[in-house]
Amino acid sequence: MSAASSSVHPASRPRFYQTTRWRQGRDFYLFVSPWVVGTILLTIFPLAYAFGVSLTNWDGISPGFRWVGFDNYAKVLSNPETWASLGRTGMLALVVVPITVVGSLVLAVLLNNKVRFRAGWRTLIYLPAVVPPVAATLTWKLLFERDSGAVNAILGLFGRDAVNWMTGQQVFIVLIVVMLWGIGGGVIINLAALQDVPQELLEAAELDGAGHWRRFVSVTVPTISPVLLFQFVTTTIGVLQTFVPALLLSPGSGAAAITSVPESNRLFMIDVYAEYFAFSRYGYASAMLWLFFVVILLITGIFFKVSGRTVFYAVDPSAGGRND
Amino acid sequence: MTDTMANSLKQAKTLRDPTIDPVTVRQSRPGQDEGDRRERSRRHRPSRVVFTILLVVSLLLLFPVYWIFVTALKSPNQLASGGTLLWPAPAHFENFIHAVTDIAFLVYAANSVFLSTVSGLLTTLSSALVGYGFARLRGPGKNVLFGVLIAMMMMPGIITLIPTYLLFARVGLVGTYWPWVLWGAAAAPYLIFLYRQFFAGLPKELEEAAVLDGCSQARIFWQIFLPLSKPVLVTAFVMSFAGVWGDFISPMLLLDNSNTTLAVALTNGYVNEKGFPLNNLIAAGAILYVIPLVLIFVFIQRRYVQGLSATGIK
Repeated sequence: MSAASSSVHPASRPRFYQTTRWRQGRDFYLFVSPWVVGTILLTIFPLAYAFGVSLTNWDGISPGFRWVGFDNYAKVLSNPETWASLGRTGMLALVVVPITVVGSLVLAVLLNNKVRFRAGWRTLIYLPAVVPPVAATLTWKLLFERDSGAVNAILGLFGRDAVNWMTGQQVFIVLIVVMLWGIGGGVIINLAALQDVPQELLEAAELDGAGHWRRFVSVTVPTISPVLLFQFVTTTIGVLQTFVPALLLSPGSGAAAITSVPESNRLFMIDVYAEYFAFSRYGYASAMLWLFFVVILLITGIFFKVSGRTVFYAVDPSAGGRND
Repeated sequence: MTDTMANSLKQAKTLRDPTIDPVTVRQSRPGQDEGDRRERSRRHRPSRVVFTILLVVSLLLLFPVYWIFVTALKSPNQLASGGTLLWPAPAHFENFIHAVTDIAFLVYAANSVFLSTVSGLLTTLSSALVGYGFARLRGPGKNVLFGVLIAMMMMPGIITLIPTYLLFARVGLVGTYWPWVLWGAAAAPYLIFLYRQFFAGLPKELEEAAVLDGCSQARIFWQIFLPLSKPVLVTAFVMSFAGVWGDFISPMLLLDNSNTTLAVALTNGYVNEKGFPLNNLIAAGAILYVIPLVLIFVFIQRRYVQGLSATGIK
């Protein structure tokens, strides 16, 4: 009796580290610690390190360096090549992102019809998306090969001269084609989203006299808009960072490849990589890296800001699991 | 409001008897009998147009696959003469043997298998742990961390990779497989999100009895939740395995010719004495490199798609 009454007395409350709240918090942090520690060590710290390097004139090899403040940033911004490669990268995104997002939506809508061999079509269209960038680029390089490639062979059938695809502006077209080959990845995601659009809503709209197009625009698109936004953002970020296809479409191989990338394919990350590992200008390259990081953050931020009004969430995305 | 609507719609769906509702039957069952299909095609008549578009798109997407096989089966002379789209005659199947023997293909393949498996297993498990934490446990700052997690899903990969390489070089990890162990143990935001959505959807009763019995969270996770998450485990493993298998930049930066992966070896191994690329062997090697991925995806496609749609990103 006295023991029970003393246990509710404020003076003998269990110590903080004995409370359920503490234990739960401890468990939570134990469980998420791999990711928290990993993010600090493998993402935040490297970025901070790169920022530090960007304030120096370090060449990556010699032990000595000098702090130069924001000189590297001024140099990057005043270098015309910066704007040229940003322009090329932006152009690639302007071509590839809309075609990928809209194209994969159209293909998904077609596949969502009751067409014969649906599963077969889906697999065939998805197949190229499974091919890693290295193999995809090598494959297209063989197709666009000057003497033995299929593209020039087809042009030959129409009496056209062989084109040298690996130089000049042409190689930018090859790069675009490589990027578009993976369109099937988006198709699969869109297809899954389309199958979750409530049939009842579509039927109700049909009863109200809405045609195919009207139902698509007013019911389907709003319902799957979160998926479309996510795809739009991730595709944009992915395309802006394009590196491997542009590198492998160069005539050189190994360490020589990076400096032999044709001018029209010198995307921003190609320039960054070359500044680091071909020209050993670590300070300057780190400044480029950070500027690009900020640019990508800004673009992502703008997308989400704009989408706040246009994207429809059936479930509040900020609502958490059962504990929130 | 939308929630209640969705609920009532779901109810209507389960209550309705599909056998007495021809509209639902037609809408929801693929592969109907002949009469139904004919009636439908008379009404909408989309099939033939759709069929044609899909055929053209598929041919465009699959022509490169045909061509890489054509290239892989040509002799250097056949390659040089060019100009034809036809299947090579004679077909030089021995190119595949050369692709495996002219470079240390099997060694590079073993490196790829090893790295992808180790990293895949670690990522699968660590992401499950973190996803469980976010789904079922409570702690101060959880919402902020979850916001950071979402932001990390958008994190540009190559931008962090280069400075990470510089740091690994300083601590002597370049040329070793340790970076992949670290990346694996650090979990992947996208997979964490996948697990989190899955675990958050499981009923509360699952762990209640165990908690009352004084069971630790580690045991609840290991013995109750992890066995339930098999479909997600498979998806997560395949995605992370394929990610490492296909990765080119990290092994190019971090490994050397003696211990690199197939992805890198493909791009610089197949050259003749004068250093010119041997396109037929590159093609054959690339086919052998991609086949495992294609097989995995064809076999687990359904599960993989389910896993993707379970994320709720959609």
